[in-house]
Amino acid sequence: MLNYNSPINDQKEYSEIRITEVEPIIKLNLRGKKRDFMTKIGKELSIIPPSDPNTSSGNEKFNILWLSPDEWILYSNDKSDLNNTNFLEEKLFNEVSKSKIGSITNVSDHWTMLNIKGKNTFDLLSTGCPFNFNDFKNTKGAVAQTLVNHIDVIIHNKDLNNLNLFVRRSFANHLWSWLNDSSRFF
Amino acid sequence: MSKNLRITNDKFIDQTSRISFKFDGKTLYGFKGDTLASALLANNIHLVGRSFKYHRPRGIMTCGSEEPNAIVQVGNDASMTEPNTRATEIELYEGLVASSQNCWPSVNFDVGAVNNFFSPLIPAAFYYKTFMWPASFWEKYEYFIRKSAGLGRSPTEPDKDFYDHRYLHCDVLVIGGGISGIIAAKTAAQNNLNTVLIDDKNKLGGTTLFQQNECFKINNTYSSEWLKKEIESLNLLQNLTIKTRTTLAAYHSYNYLLARENLTDHLSLSEKQNKVRQRLWKIRAKKVIISTGAMERPLIFNNNDRPGIILSSSIKKYIDYFGVKCGQKLSLFTNNDSAYETAVSLNKSGVTVNSVIDIRDKTDSLIVRQAERLGIKIYWKHTVVNTSGYKRINSIDIMKLSDDGNEVVGKKFSEDCDCLGISGGWTPRVHLFTQSGGKLKFKDKDNVFLPDKSELEQISIGSCNGDFELDSIIKNSVESINKFLNINNNDYKNLEIVCSKELDKKNIWLLPSDKPLGKTKPFLDFQNDSTASDVKLALREGFKSIEHVKRYTTTGMGTDQGKLSNMHALGIIAETAGVKMGELGTTTFRPPYTPLTFGTIVGRNVGEFFDIIRKTPIHDWHEENKAEFENVGQWKRAWYYPKKNESMHEAVQRESKAARDSAGMLDASTLGKIDIQGSDASEFLNRVYTNAWSKLEIGKCRYGLMLNEDGMVYDDGVTTRLGENHYIMTTTTGGAANVLSKLEDYLQTEWPELDVYLTSVTDQYATVSICGPNSKKILSKVIPDLDLSDKEFPHMSFKNASINNVKCRVMRISFTGEHSYEINIQSSYGKSVWEKCFEAGKEFNITPYGTETMHLLRAEKGFIITGQDTDGTMTPVDLQMDWIISKKKYDFIGKRSLYRSDTIRDDRKQLVGLITDDPKEVLEEGAQIVSETNKQPVEMLGHVTSSYFSPNLNKSIALAVVKNGKKLKGHKMFVPMKNKTINVTITDTVFLDKDNKRLNA
Amino acid sequence: MFLINCPYCGERDQSEFSAGGEAHIIRPKQPTELSDDQWAEFLFMRKNIKGVQLERWNHAHGCRKWFNMVRDTSNDKIHAVYKMGEKPPIK
Repeated sequence: MLNYNSPINDQKEYSEIRITEVEPIIKLNLRGKKRDFMTKIGKELSIIPPSDPNTSSGNEKFNILWLSPDEWILYSNDKSDLNNTNFLEEKLFNEVSKSKIGSITNVSDHWTMLNIKGKNTFDLLSTGCPFNFNDFKNTKGAVAQTLVNHIDVIIHNKDLNNLNLFVRRSFANHLWSWLNDSSRFF
Repeated sequence: MSKNLRITNDKFIDQTSRISFKFDGKTLYGFKGDTLASALLANNIHLVGRSFKYHRPRGIMTCGSEEPNAIVQVGNDASMTEPNTRATEIELYEGLVASSQNCWPSVNFDVGAVNNFFSPLIPAAFYYKTFMWPASFWEKYEYFIRKSAGLGRSPTEPDKDFYDHRYLHCDVLVIGGGISGIIAAKTAAQNNLNTVLIDDKNKLGGTTLFQQNECFKINNTYSSEWLKKEIESLNLLQNLTIKTRTTLAAYHSYNYLLARENLTDHLSLSEKQNKVRQRLWKIRAKKVIISTGAMERPLIFNNNDRPGIILSSSIKKYIDYFGVKCGQKLSLFTNNDSAYETAVSLNKSGVTVNSVIDIRDKTDSLIVRQAERLGIKIYWKHTVVNTSGYKRINSIDIMKLSDDGNEVVGKKFSEDCDCLGISGGWTPRVHLFTQSGGKLKFKDKDNVFLPDKSELEQISIGSCNGDFELDSIIKNSVESINKFLNINNNDYKNLEIVCSKELDKKNIWLLPSDKPLGKTKPFLDFQNDSTASDVKLALREGFKSIEHVKRYTTTGMGTDQGKLSNMHALGIIAETAGVKMGELGTTTFRPPYTPLTFGTIVGRNVGEFFDIIRKTPIHDWHEENKAEFENVGQWKRAWYYPKKNESMHEAVQRESKAARDSAGMLDASTLGKIDIQGSDASEFLNRVYTNAWSKLEIGKCRYGLMLNEDGMVYDDGVTTRLGENHYIMTTTTGGAANVLSKLEDYLQTEWPELDVYLTSVTDQYATVSICGPNSKKILSKVIPDLDLSDKEFPHMSFKNASINNVKCRVMRISFTGEHSYEINIQSSYGKSVWEKCFEAGKEFNITPYGTETMHLLRAEKGFIITGQDTDGTMTPVDLQMDWIISKKKYDFIGKRSLYRSDTIRDDRKQLVGLITDDPKEVLEEGAQIVSETNKQPVEMLGHVTSSYFSPNLNKSIALAVVKNGKKLKGHKMFVPMKNKTINVTITDTVFLDKDNKRLNA
Repeated sequence: MFLINCPYCGERDQSEFSAGGEAHIIRPKQPTELSDDQWAEFLFMRKNIKGVQLERWNHAHGCRKWFNMVRDTSNDKIHAVYKMGEKPPIK
């Protein structure tokens, strides 16, 4: 048996802030420009990748976040086992990449997902993030790719004061420390 | 506390809660709500510092951020002390310790004061002129000048306080919470605009807050009463955020502003603990309303700098707001109406006002009449020609002005006083407007610069926009706000406003005296001790531009940035040079508006957050096994693993030998990895790498060199063909982000026709590299079902495999020249696989090695490291890597540049090997290489790029770039060092296993 | 600090972007047929205008897309942004 190690594996609570690492979940990077690509993804997952910038689509199992006009990230709502990831990746890879209508890349371990919850969530982000959350925070499903303390992140607005934040794994520890440090002052 | 200097006034100051503090070692008392300045004045302390050049005694002069004199050192802790803070802005707290600056041994007896007597010998630019020659003496001069200059003490230990940053986005930012700012904030917030109002004081209201004068009424109440209700109504507004104790520091383009909020500076020492001290707000506002008000100007006359000479409006604030008398017997000296408000306030509080000296002819406004009714003596058309009193003013000399105002006439007479209020009119605070790129216009009538044109969404309202009368402030502000926010607010339309109107104005920048200018000291810049005479001298010496005069005389160059002095300097220059003020321009107002602490500027980016740290999935193992780490870009990479008492050299020698003798393992997870998919993937690789890719079989790996368009080597790495249209590219650790961005650039802009998708997977995979003669045996233990025969799995090929049901990719590639494998597995299992390999390798003494050993091993084989052996000026030909340039390909990035006249020169610097005559002598990386030792100057032919002691060859080896090096193989060269010259011979770049036998060992 | 309107993502802080120099310099399709001088013209020669300039920018920390910008270098005013392949909207 190999041991699974996620970078944080922790949960912290502060005044009106809770930060949790949510792993393991499936994350796939989807690329494609053609209409066939959209139809294929829609057929396989029952979700159409959103074409509006800074938005997401989803169902009870998966979310697809807009990253760019030809790039999306898909992630699962529930913690999942390895076999699911392999199966989904292979299935989509065969349907999309092998059919030359786009690309499918497994990024489950490339990104680490943190969940941040509580009334001070957006104030916490404002300690290091230049993004304007004024409209974002009231828009369920909104997506932003931006920087927190100079580290690239993808932010998915799940619900009122409840968001998922994706950070590249190698940065995860540092960002985690930053968020915890900043949370102390609320 | 001298009781007789406080009047009963508990509106703003809590006179029931006494606070003790220390100034210059003496324990004093004040009240909650005091500033250090108001508390000192209440203790009858005016003298708080010495001037910069002449060490003249100086006293508190203002009540705000423009204070030039009362700059003090706060705190005496080696980590917390702060120099150059303004006593007028420090809120009193229990335990405050402050001291005077720029005086030695004490503010009352200052040795440097002898400069005052020599002052005729120390004119403008004295230091520049005197200490210029001989140049080599400067260091000696500097020592003494610095010692006597003394602009406070820096903390000597790290700051223990916390500082942080916050971003803030709003529809409307209102800067300044005076009457117009309050109207603006209320109007904006009421109209559903997300509004932020900031003010540098602890209470909103500006100067109207304490205006209780019959001559200034709104709807039949004092203007202060009316404003109080307005301020209360702000609390009901949901859209409004109010930040007091917050100073706007900088106003940049695109309405990006920085404001410093003071969170704990006013709290007692115990309350400050574990809180953020100051916060820097990074504000992005859709619209900005500047309502920063105006500041009073001093008057420029002989000896106008004595302690006890205070701006008239500040005296008013001290009495009306703080309940502090600045003296018992005051005189006021003015050229405008506002001093009369002060006279009335003082009179009402029972303070004797000797007289008001007014340079104007008799005028008859409401406020003047009120003063007259109270029996206050007024000297019309008079001026103060001198003042007396060394550490505190004790009398003034007064004379009548001539009709043209150029000279004084009649008999001189004196008046005793212990405080002189001066008012030279008002200067709108246009600093922020000009910081934002706005252009100013000059208004002759009021002698003020006003905001004119701006490219940004902003307006200035109130007195910072040149409105000085209560009724016009309200009327014009409301009109501007309505237009700016495109709304129609009628709330302020029908106000009944009573206000005194100034009927006459007169301005004399430099007031005449009965003595010639050379014999007087009319100070312009109080902090830098420059006088009107200095400015005139500069003009006589040929300086014309205001920017030059400023630097020559240092006028306006202190910590106050000349807030009080700039206008007079301009006025005197204009007058002397005979030009109009508007044509002269102004000096540049640069951010920050008031000084910022370094703590505020860096925020939480200190200590562990100084720079970003990236860690590999195997990082914890390296830490547990006592690795020393090296910074590679933002990554922390294991550098070497010292066993107990081992030096770095010993550890690296051991690791290097083990890797070649049996087995070594390296964490290579930091290498950049890019997943490439799409039907044009092969064509894409053909275009970005120098070699050919179309014929690479699926399952095979190839080394590639990437150039810039100028033909210089940019990055390198191994790319593997995973499928028909699927590759995985590796890049150097440091180059990963740049390579991806460069490739995206070509795909998006030059070759949009290519069907290729790039996805970074650097963090998706952990990479465990196992090398050495026993690597095959170890891998077969880790992945028993993988056929590792050379036939099935030759060098430069890859296999899909799985370890305990976890998929992985195994590449047989080598950066050490040894038989070697790289296992790429999803990061979450990286540490576990590493441990498994380590376990499996134990019987073969598998040795984890770090980046230093990796560098040594590849140098033995002559493999380059881009960025170490290349520096952006090396072509593949320079690197003797001609073999990697495809002759068949029509084009690839950088191809055309490889036969430019410059790149085909024979005498370019080329990569070679170096062997030292003494095999024990290890060269220093960066050392220069020459061909002659007895010539001076001698041509530098190149330098050492990599150098190590090779345990496997038992000698020193090095790589170097040398001019025309390819043709110099076998030649002797010299590496001159500080104490010796090292003899070297140019060799081939490959030192070990020239025919690559070890790859298949 | 500019506020840049990414043609794909909307208004974002300048720190999310990186600048890529002068726009509309097309890489020659047949570099091998160019003289040294012609190639040098493409490789090295860039305008550096005081005034309105066409520039390349990349939303590096957002959608990773490259786009063009019309910017006045004398006052930093951004007059327009437009996608790669499009013509400058104003000049």
